[in-house]
Amino acid sequence: MHALIQGIILGVLTAGVYALMASGQTLIFGIMKIVNMAQGALVILGAYLSYQLFTSFGIDPFLAIPITTVIMFMVGVAVQLVFLRPLHSDDRSQLSVLVTFAVALLVEGVMSVIWSTSDRSINTSYANASWTVLGYQITLVRLWAFLLSLLALALLYLLLNRTRFGRAVRASVQNPESARLLGVESERVAAIGFGLGAATAAAAGSMYGLLYPFNSGSHYDLISRLLSIVVLGGLGSIGGAVTGALIISVSSAVVASTISPSWSQMTFFVVLLLVLLVRPRGLFGAAVRGAI
Amino acid sequence: MSQRNRLRFMGAVGVSLASAVLVAGCASGGGGTGQQLVIGASVSLTGDFSDSGKAVQRGYQLWADTVNATGGILGRKVQLDIVDDASSPTQVVTNYQNLINKDRVDLTFGPFSTLLTIPASQVAKRYGYAFLAPAGGGPKMFEQNLDNYFFVQPAPTIQSGDVFAAYVLSLPADQRPTTAAYAELDDPFSAPIAENIRQKLEAAGIRTVYKQVYPSETMDLSPVMGAVAAQHPDLLVGGTQNEDAYAQVKSLVQLKFSPKFLFQSNGANSPLEFPDKVGSANTEGIMAPADWFPGSTATGSADFTAAYVKRYGGSAQSVDDSSAEAYAVGQLISAVAAKTNKIDNPTIISALHSGSWPTLLGNLSWSANGAPHGEFNLVQWQKGKLLPVYPPSVAQASPEAPRPNWAG
Repeated sequence: MHALIQGIILGVLTAGVYALMASGQTLIFGIMKIVNMAQGALVILGAYLSYQLFTSFGIDPFLAIPITTVIMFMVGVAVQLVFLRPLHSDDRSQLSVLVTFAVALLVEGVMSVIWSTSDRSINTSYANASWTVLGYQITLVRLWAFLLSLLALALLYLLLNRTRFGRAVRASVQNPESARLLGVESERVAAIGFGLGAATAAAAGSMYGLLYPFNSGSHYDLISRLLSIVVLGGLGSIGGAVTGALIISVSSAVVASTISPSWSQMTFFVVLLLVLLVRPRGLFGAAVRGAI
Repeated sequence: MSQRNRLRFMGAVGVSLASAVLVAGCASGGGGTGQQLVIGASVSLTGDFSDSGKAVQRGYQLWADTVNATGGILGRKVQLDIVDDASSPTQVVTNYQNLINKDRVDLTFGPFSTLLTIPASQVAKRYGYAFLAPAGGGPKMFEQNLDNYFFVQPAPTIQSGDVFAAYVLSLPADQRPTTAAYAELDDPFSAPIAENIRQKLEAAGIRTVYKQVYPSETMDLSPVMGAVAAQHPDLLVGGTQNEDAYAQVKSLVQLKFSPKFLFQSNGANSPLEFPDKVGSANTEGIMAPADWFPGSTATGSADFTAAYVKRYGGSAQSVDDSSAEAYAVGQLISAVAAKTNKIDNPTIISALHSGSWPTLLGNLSWSANGAPHGEFNLVQWQKGKLLPVYPPSVAQASPEAPRPNWAG
């Protein structure tokens, strides 16, 4: 029972970080109908940037988030302008999988050259601190990461639902042609949207670097998990990404701690398959799609 | 083309071909008859194994420079022909075929990792080359039964944890752990090491309270370590590589569970990376296997350490094991030449199959399939240093047991 409850606690706290990563993924799909295979690589790039700011300048990874998100926003915009905008709109969804995978490999190569392939880890003074509550350990970093992820997701929600840009995004998602006729610059929205997706990857990357050792190849394991989360939650739905992250993170942590870590990895694919059998568009895909 | 021009053209072609043959002959060292002893090696300078590959390259180069400073091997200067295989098992085959058939190297040294050494050793076998490799100790390597292959480490990789089992079983009954947990990475160089230990400890009555294998893509080991902590074992064996070794320790610290004995098959034996990843204070008391360690009194170890630090900087503590293992490959070539007064592949193969050969990893000898006969040393982190603690013949400090609680 102790292992089960500890597993649930760990799963819930970790879910926040995955939700943040996946929200960028689902945002990009929602705006551009692009499955961004580079999201995992962008998360790891965010972790490296945070690592560099910490080791070179002593900037705390949480405090580094405003810096890394701005940098990664610009990287995201550049990726959209250089690699995705030239794609013909009819083939964009299919070709984007290949193009963004190529971007992931490019980012991985650049990271390997700059930081080598050695494992890195961001070790702050509080990296291993935890609170004991009723005999269970609440890891400080995971708790902060969870809270910060909720804050970032709330800001993203406000941006999309309470701002002019958000209205433009939602209009583009619901009906691109009509939005264009009404003066929405869809290409500009797409570039900013991709930039925002990359910015969420940066924020999540800072926290990822605090939680786990990482290297330039870490994104391969990450991307399958992120895709599972967004498909489970429903492509294009931020609420779905949060729910998907919660389900996948808690189920895999509970299975790992009570049954076997070998089954843990498979658990979320089983959950995914079961959900898709009942709801082919994911948990929130049908209801929320088009409204983000 | 006129008759005169044709003759001039053919003459020019003939002279060019003759020159090319002459130049090629000089460049290749004459396949063993020239002044230089050309040794070819494919090393992972890029890709997944590039960090270890570069360490291997440093070891090879350091040995070559050392022997060249004293006149070379039997009067022949050593020239290394090192090419990058990008950590690819396909490229490594192409590289050795080129080194042997095109560059016509005199000898070959091995690459890094069993994954690459298996196909590379087959190429070397086809052409009758001795194949000494600093990495390539997985079971599949020895199942090939190649008589030209020599794994230059004290023992096959999966036996590297046996020294820990021997240490635990050497403890008086009242100091021995009574319960043990095993968390093993699903990897041919990790889980089998832990399994070997488990069989020995179970046979001695140490009860297994947890045993799980986790897939290599497991990013978060906290749930696994949480399950370990719930069982409160005296001893934890981590069948690990690097990344998961760091994650295990970090998770244990966060969960505030500190086993009295903690052994990790890999990761914890990295003198620079491990304290950097888990925090220096949290390394105290953790044990790992090692074939070489700073301060070793084995043959040539002090010279190697001094030369390494002089050439590459840092301190003795920062020397990578892979560099020491690569250097030992060269030491064996020097030793064969000194003993037989010959340096060719058949001589190396027959010589190394008999007797024991001194290196900085200790005295090495091999079975017919290239599996070494020795055993690893047990090292332990004590006050920020990785020190050999078992067997007593190499120990520089007494084992610290039980280990202290985490520093946090």
